Formats: sequence, structure tokens, C-alpha cells
Amino acid sequence: MKFNNLRSKLADDLEIPNNVVSDNFDMRIQGNKKVIIENHLGLTVYEKDMVGVKTKEQIIMIKGSKFKIEEINDFKVIIKGLVEEIKINSKE
Amino acid sequence: MITFKLWNLIRGYVIINITDTNYEKTINVLQRNKINLWDIEKNDNGVSFKISNDDYKKYYKIIRDIKLEPTKKTGLSFKLKKLELRKGFIIGIIVLIISFFMFSNLVWNIEVVGTNQIVSRNIKDTLSKNGIKMPSTISNLNEKHIETLLHKEFASFKFVEAYVEGSKLIIFVKEKELESSVIKENTPSSIISTKNAIINKAIVKNGQLVVRVGDVVYKGQTLVMGIVKNKNSDDFMMVPSEGTIYGKTYYNFEIKEEKIRNITKSTDNTKNIYYIKLSDKKHKIIGDIKPFKNYNYSERAIKIPILSNITGISFVKGKFFEEKISQIEIDENSAKNKMKINLYDNLIKMCGKDAKTLSTSFNYQKDEKYYYLNAQIEVIEDIGESIKIYPIEENEEMDNNAEIKED
Repeated sequence: MKFNNLRSKLADDLEIPNNVVSDNFDMRIQGNKKVIIENHLGLTVYEKDMVGVKTKEQIIMIKGSKFKIEEINDFKVIIKGLVEEIKINSKE
Repeated sequence: MITFKLWNLIRGYVIINITDTNYEKTINVLQRNKINLWDIEKNDNGVSFKISNDDYKKYYKIIRDIKLEPTKKTGLSFKLKKLELRKGFIIGIIVLIISFFMFSNLVWNIEVVGTNQIVSRNIKDTLSKNGIKMPSTISNLNEKHIETLLHKEFASFKFVEAYVEGSKLIIFVKEKELESSVIKENTPSSIISTKNAIINKAIVKNGQLVVRVGDVVYKGQTLVMGIVKNKNSDDFMMVPSEGTIYGKTYYNFEIKEEKIRNITKSTDNTKNIYYIKLSDKKHKIIGDIKPFKNYNYSERAIKIPILSNITGISFVKGKFFEEKISQIEIDENSAKNKMKINLYDNLIKMCGKDAKTLSTSFNYQKDEKYYYLNAQIEVIEDIGESIKIYPIEENEEMDNNAEIKED
């Protein structure tokens, strides 16, 4: 955890993408239609109105409707649908 | 994404349905094994997703271990695999294509248009003797060669055109018309003047000369009469007139020539234009239709060996050569010579072959724009022309007499 924070700080100082050096996830949202999450560890939940994505230190909960996973591989997951809420919970 | 989907459509992909309630775990296992999944969708039976055919083959063991069964295999590679199994069907299609190509390239019979059956048969025999036999491929038929051959063999043909239409070789023929109004030697005839002239010389072998040397005659006037008095009786009889009547004729000409003339000179600039030709219509593909203000244009057809024969589609390459118009001044001597040449060209067309020039008078003039030539030419030429004469029927003669009496 501490080591990850150090890598994240180093990435910020060197102005290089954070997810390349650290285990932090990278999330991009295109309007309320599409969410792209990189550096993920898999799905925790997948329902039509809710998708949960596990990352190294957090769990991202996306709520909305008509969810469809456009693509998933070991690096990124693309979630499509009508996004209403995104919640990031720390793992306990 | 669309290229990704298109690529997978070509390579083939497998749709898998997970009915297990713990499907998130299954998806995670697959993605951790570096299997790319897409279009994951929740439905009534569970969750369906797509994986590429290559991944399916590569990780078949893992997929089998998780107890997943493909519901559908889609894509071009699967379709082609199906065709591989139907060898007879493929062979049939290939045979069909080859036979279609072969038959569409064959000409089966010759049709002769524009002449009677006997000549048609002769044409077919001539072609057969020269190695043009049916059926024959279109590429082996040289239309120009056929036309030349028929022109050589049949002197009576005025016009010959050969072309392939569908599976027929059509030969269009136009025969020369027989020369009419040839006056036979024993047909009664008179000689009349074809021009206004002054009689210069008359040589009469047969018939009665009705003009004298020095007489002025007009066009259509009788020169030698085909009716002569019978020596033994008072009756008149009709004879074929024979003789040559020479007359002096005068031709007046007024010819003008421009002092400044426009001439076109080609520059080195050229531009191309390409058309696609479907049936008889041309559609432009590349290039401008009128790239230069003044130009000369030439074009040639480009045929694609097999495609053009089957579909009739060909390409046309047009080339524009730029031309510049410039003005040149013509000097007086050149203009005089040119006008004289024009004058004699016209005179030859108007006179007979044996005409002789007696005297010429030229008068040159000029103004700001033109050079002028006024000329009078005196010529001696044969002015006679034979015309057929007919005896008057007795009944007609009676009728004419009756009309005269009534008057």
C-alpha cells in the first residue's frame, strides 16, 4: 500500500501516466454512456442495472441501466449503458 | 470497434452462453487467462458473450474445464469450412462459371443482312474457306479482316460491316445498284447541250446536226436531232445520234482570301480523363471534362481481358492536348497562289475531262481584310449529252390533233 503510494507520487513527479508505474486504476467516462476502466482485476457484480469492477485497492460500483460489457480483457473493461452513479469503495 | 468486429467476423467468432449463477467468476477466469471477451450481455438464460475462433481453439481446454458450450459459431471462416465439406457443390459452381465464361465467348452462327439467300450462302462459304468457321471464339474473329475479305471477294458490295451481337456474327451488306439509263447503241437518241456555249466544232457520225459553228446555244438545246428523213420516202425515221460537239464556255469566278488567319499550335501540356463505359454510356471517373480553353482530344478504349467480355464493362482513356491560337499574316503572293489553286480546283469539277483552256483573265484586288481574285476563263469542251427519244403513239397523235382543232 505504502509502496504503491510512493510509485504514484513518483509518476506524478515524473509526469508519466500513473497506471503505468503504480497499481492505481485509470477510469474514463464518455458522457453517461460509456465507462472505460484500465488496470482492473475483474468483475465483482454484473447485472443490467449495476456493474462492480475490482481493482487493486478499490471496488468501483457503477449504477444505472441497460448495462452491457462491450469488451473485457486482462487490462481493460469497457462498460456501456446509461450511467447514473459511480461509487468507489476501498477494500477492507 | 467496428474494425475489430469486422475482423472477427472474417476470422470467425463463437457465442457462448453461461447459465451458471456465478458467471462473474467465470468471466474473470477467462479474462485472467488472456482471453478477449466482448459483447457480454445479460439475458433470461444467464450471460452470453463472444470470443474469437482463434481463442476458442487455443483455450479450448480451459473452456471445457469450466463446462462452457458454444451456442453459435459465426463468421466467414466457418462458412468456408462448410463449403469445404460440399466438394461436389464447389466443383459444380466452378464448372458452371467456366462453362458460362466459355459459352459467352463463343459465336455460334453467321447472319447475313441486306442480301438474298444465294449471296448469303456464298458469303458463308467464302468465310468457311478462309478458316472462319462456327462456333468460334469472339477473340478469334477479326471484324476488320472479315470486312476486307468480303470486299475483295465480292466486287458487287458497296458496303460491308461485320460485328458480333450476342452469340451471332452479323454481316451487314449493301450491294451496288445496277447502272441505269445506259443508252444502247441502237436506241433512238438526240444530243443536247449541257451548258450555255458557243459552238466551236461539231463532229457528227449519226443524226442530223441542227446548229452551226458560231451559234450560241443554251443548256438543254438540241444539238443533234435523232430524227432524219428517209432517203427513199418522205417519212421520217428515228436513229441513234452519235457525235461530239465542242463548245466555247465561259466561267466567271470571284474568290477571296483572308489577310490574317488564325492558326492553332499545340503546346506540350496534356491532361488525361478516365471514363467507365457501361453498355453504351460513359461515366467520368477521374479528370476534368474541359481542362483547356482550346484543345484537341483523342481517346482510346481499355478493355479488361475477361471482365469486359463477360460484363461489357470497359474503360476509356481520353487525352486533351492544349492548343494555342495565334494569328499570322498572309503575304500577297501566297494568297494569289492559293486563290489560283482554288480556282482551278473548282474549274476541274465544273468542266469535262477533255476540256482545254483557251484564255484566262485574272484581276486581283485587296482591301483591309481580304485579297480578291476576279477571273474569267474561256474553255473548249464537249457540251453534248445523249438523251433517249421516244416515238409518239398514234392514239396520242390523234388526241393532240383533236385538241388543236377544238382550240
